[in-house]
Amino acid sequence: MTTVEQRTGLVGQGVDRVDGPLKVTGAARYPNDFSYPDLAYAALVRSTVAAGRISRLDTAAALASPGVLAVITHQNAPRLERAPDSGLTAPPPPLQDDRITFHGQYVAVVVADSAEEATAAARRVEAEYEPAEPILDMGDPRAEWITDPWGTDSSRGDLKGALASAEVRFEATYTTAANSNSPMGLFSTVAVWDGDDLTIHDSTQWPSYLRKAIAQVFSLPEGNVRVLCPYVGGAFGAGLRAWPHIMLAALAARTVGRPVKLVLTRPEMFTGVGHRTASEQCVKLGATRDGRLVALAHESTTPLQIEGTQFEPCTAGSASAYACPNVITRDRQVRLNIPWCNFMRAPGEAQGNFALESAMDELAYELGMDPLELRLRNYSEDNPRLELPWSSKSLRECYEVGAERFGWSRRSPEPGSMRDGDSLIGYGVAGVSFFWYQEPCEARATLRKDGTAVVRSAVTDIGTGTYTVMTQLSAECLGLDMAHVTFELGDSDLPAGAAAGGSGLTAAVGSAVQAACRNLVRAFLDTVRDDPTSPLQGCTIDEVSVGGGRIHRIDAPESGEAYADILAAHGIGELSADGSSTPNDPKVAGMAPSGAFAARFVEVRVDPDLGLMQVARVVSVVDAGRILNEKTATSQIMGGTVGGIGMAMLEEIVTDPGTGRVANATFGDYLIPVNADIPDMEVAFVGRPDRFNSVGVKGVGEIGLVGIGAAIANAVHHATGRRVRSLPITIEQLF
Amino acid sequence: MADDMTGGVPVATVARVGVTLTVNGADYRLDLDSRVTLLDALRDRLGMTGTKKGCDQGACGACTVMVDGKRVLSCLTLAAQCEGKDVTTIEGLAADGVLHAMQEAFVRHDAFQCGYCTSGQIMSAVCLLAEGRAGSDDAIRQFMSGNLCRCGAYGNIVAAIREVRDAGGHDA
Amino acid sequence: MREFEYVRAGEVGQAVAMVTADPETSYLAGGTTQLDLMKDGVLAPDRLVDITRLPLGGVTRDGDVLRVGALASMEELAADPTVAERLPFLREALLMGASPQLRNMATIGGNLLQRTRCRYFRDPAVSACNKRRRGTGCAAVQEVARMHAILGASEHCIALHPSDMAVALVALDAVVHLLGAGGSRSVPIREFYLLPGDTPDVENVLRHGELITAVEVPLLPPGARSTYLKVRDRASYEFALTSAAVALRIDGGVIGEARVAMGGVGTVPWRATTTEQMLEGSPPSPEVFAAAAELAITDPYVVPGTAFKVELAKRTVARALRTAATQGGPR
Repeated sequence: MTTVEQRTGLVGQGVDRVDGPLKVTGAARYPNDFSYPDLAYAALVRSTVAAGRISRLDTAAALASPGVLAVITHQNAPRLERAPDSGLTAPPPPLQDDRITFHGQYVAVVVADSAEEATAAARRVEAEYEPAEPILDMGDPRAEWITDPWGTDSSRGDLKGALASAEVRFEATYTTAANSNSPMGLFSTVAVWDGDDLTIHDSTQWPSYLRKAIAQVFSLPEGNVRVLCPYVGGAFGAGLRAWPHIMLAALAARTVGRPVKLVLTRPEMFTGVGHRTASEQCVKLGATRDGRLVALAHESTTPLQIEGTQFEPCTAGSASAYACPNVITRDRQVRLNIPWCNFMRAPGEAQGNFALESAMDELAYELGMDPLELRLRNYSEDNPRLELPWSSKSLRECYEVGAERFGWSRRSPEPGSMRDGDSLIGYGVAGVSFFWYQEPCEARATLRKDGTAVVRSAVTDIGTGTYTVMTQLSAECLGLDMAHVTFELGDSDLPAGAAAGGSGLTAAVGSAVQAACRNLVRAFLDTVRDDPTSPLQGCTIDEVSVGGGRIHRIDAPESGEAYADILAAHGIGELSADGSSTPNDPKVAGMAPSGAFAARFVEVRVDPDLGLMQVARVVSVVDAGRILNEKTATSQIMGGTVGGIGMAMLEEIVTDPGTGRVANATFGDYLIPVNADIPDMEVAFVGRPDRFNSVGVKGVGEIGLVGIGAAIANAVHHATGRRVRSLPITIEQLF
Repeated sequence: MADDMTGGVPVATVARVGVTLTVNGADYRLDLDSRVTLLDALRDRLGMTGTKKGCDQGACGACTVMVDGKRVLSCLTLAAQCEGKDVTTIEGLAADGVLHAMQEAFVRHDAFQCGYCTSGQIMSAVCLLAEGRAGSDDAIRQFMSGNLCRCGAYGNIVAAIREVRDAGGHDA
Repeated sequence: MREFEYVRAGEVGQAVAMVTADPETSYLAGGTTQLDLMKDGVLAPDRLVDITRLPLGGVTRDGDVLRVGALASMEELAADPTVAERLPFLREALLMGASPQLRNMATIGGNLLQRTRCRYFRDPAVSACNKRRRGTGCAAVQEVARMHAILGASEHCIALHPSDMAVALVALDAVVHLLGAGGSRSVPIREFYLLPGDTPDVENVLRHGELITAVEVPLLPPGARSTYLKVRDRASYEFALTSAAVALRIDGGVIGEARVAMGGVGTVPWRATTTEQMLEGSPPSPEVFAAAAELAITDPYVVPGTAFKVELAKRTVARALRTAATQGGPR
């Protein structure tokens, strides 16, 4: 079924977040808010070299420190197993040997009666190293290279020939800095053992996977482990891995025989939960004089942790962004002694789009063409890579509506030609063709005798609005008021949930919820099938609809029965049904799965004397398929835009070239945007429900970040005539 | 547990300090490790976990509370320094279960996503109005810049504050 | 944080005596620097003497001098009507100097003693830091510097003085009042700070146990024009890459008096005296401002990451002069 169900009109409305009252009163409980009697606290000790071996660990002073219960190192830690793949290799279990592969690797965990005591004692652990020369630079000849790490490289047509014969050729190299996810919530784990049963509160985006991972690391049956995460203080991808500190919290709790809380410090957040890799990218374009692309090559190199894996496809999106017959895209990775590279909001695409959409802007100037017109002239009506029609695409409308709202026609094409006092004004545009992925997901819907429903799935709401939109969707599917529906998530004991990642959660859990609700209505029909007193007797699912807390016949809406009445009449306490979803197959469906599309329009103001830049306006028009909640979806786009502004103007993880230490691992040194950096933003949604999944959504969690970097860089060029090909664009580059 | 993990001669002594904290109008007598910050006293000792730890370094504003009516960072305040002072936290803002106008406005304007910075944002916003600094959007943005939001809800935070201001609380 | 004893001081003399008697005892005021560095493991006193309840607050005017108690908060000083009227650029420096929360906590005395944001100083995992331990070297010179000093700096130390307020106070020739076990003394603020030389761990003339009790700030003459310009990556809540505190008295089309100090460039807040000398007696024009600003930076010590500051600082001074002359009038 790929039709979009639309019954009560509840879905789509910008209703307030159902978890709002809890969040504004401080009552929502994040992992580090949980406490237990006799709780002990853990603190970590990290390596101060990036490569080599631990030559000496002296824990005597730490052990003698007040309140200390245990100090665990590789010298006394039990053997732990490696966690299973999540699609990507899990980080190795901690404290298993003396090898060091990055600066900041955990070398000990200290457990004490209080957080103050644990932290003080951790500083008393003395570690010495036999350092090796770390590999920190992608140009280091010792570094190992990986080509086409995920089989996403693509090639079509004859790139070489087309480039050679192109009327206009353009080539440039672009770089982006490493970025830190830096959610506001410090990643935290509270571990509680009861015999061989383990309860974990954690900042995860994927409790179903984390449970599996912990169980395997500690050689436990999966059923012994329960992961709880009803609220997570942001994550942006950082919560998609089974990090070593989680295992250390569990190990510490088992060692001291008490519940243990481990809250990462802000500096530890920069080395312990992954980051977005830097990138070096080369784009080559060939075009006709009238602006038709004949050749497109996009090659990217990104760093990788020396033992890690990471999916960071910077160029894959370029293969389907434009109609172009001759295309090559290539990704490579280089292994370095740096902390783990991991997902961060729009991995790969955030960097790749910056390069491609900057290059398109540069080509437009070469051609003397409006950058917007160049994009429209190369619009891909079908997916050029899969050679299938898109499951939905309204990017043209994004451009048109965006240009109108932004006032693109007021742009004077000449760089440096628009001015206001000391400020140069620049307009920039970027297009975004996002892709996403969906995972299998399960859900269960239950109706209770009081007529209320609870729908459950082991997914998470990291701020995306899952609680709210799934409550809306469930209410609509069951014909109930929202007030009569509760959506439960954040508990691995619930039906197995998909990760909050890849912009695919809403499609995955939404499809499962729809299926569960439909199966629940079926279960009610089964209950009354042989009940002569029920007006629904003998009805099939296709003959009924729902509304007002009851099921009724489509042909006779007055003939129906309330859920509560059916349960009462049959002496049933509650009735449940399961539903599941699996991703559609493009070949079977005969269409290419569309991610969201967007057009981003940005106005910057640059003070050329002082190099000061302010983003003055952003207009974003997004085709994300069906919008389940206008308010929370708009927030997602605005929030992503703030992340994009950070990437474009501020954010850069600085690594000391000599030691491999992250040099700016605090919020005072690694700058993320503050309120005063953010201008008025306008967001509009266009398009129609997507055909690839039954909910009709395409995901809004990540696309908001994509395109902003290029749009800002393009606007800076328009303002100043200066082309900046590296992010972030800082004062040094502008004055 | 292995023998090498415990025991030994103490390398230091924890100094303790007695302090009476007045939090949201109620007095709490605490005997604390002198190192305990107001933030950790609230969260770990009094179980008031609404106030959040985002950096513990005075660089994010998530731990903002009011001390004697002024917004401060509880992570850089020792609990011992608060003897005899009035501390107001997010838990003390709603009166008898009725949300404060700022809390309501934050919900209505979707002025948060993950919610982790929200307690600090709201405490800061309430103080902002009391300080008379919400006269323009630019002023709101500037004087709310001590509260980071990584989800990027800034625009909606400004909208929520503007609405409460216009409803006549302060700065009208 | 390492274990420490907390003592609440009852009166000033007792506090001074306690700290003077023990090299491992420190004062605690607003705590925004002290506790931060203790958490980082950079500072580890055995005892903290909380002076926040001592009667050292208040802002009072005596003729053309403002007397600011050391325990007045940044917010309190920024809100003072005399500051708004006669020291507007000091007010701007205070408001740009920290978030509202920090301004409520941080004291004027503490702000003068604010420690550098150098990321090599603040991380004890970095062993080379002459400011933390003399003779260990300077990692900032070797690794990646940016928020660092180009004036008063050397291969021994390029740590930047981070205060905005102190830049304005240096421009104003404020006087710092100190109380020690042996009595009180007053030190002009420009003599209060010491250049690092090969002893970057010694940052000012304070002897151990000496306490800042007050700062006296001469008011600008009525009609003076002033501004504080701060250039930074973020629009707020961020330290300066460069800044300039500028006050001008313009009489009959000629600059009668110029006060110019710079932040973001010096190991101490930096007075641009040659710039001032050129300005005084000249007509206020963009050309004069640009030429005078050229003199603001002499003999800089730069590393690759800080080289841009030489030009940026000059432009910052030139812009601040222009702004002060055209917009920085009495309000």
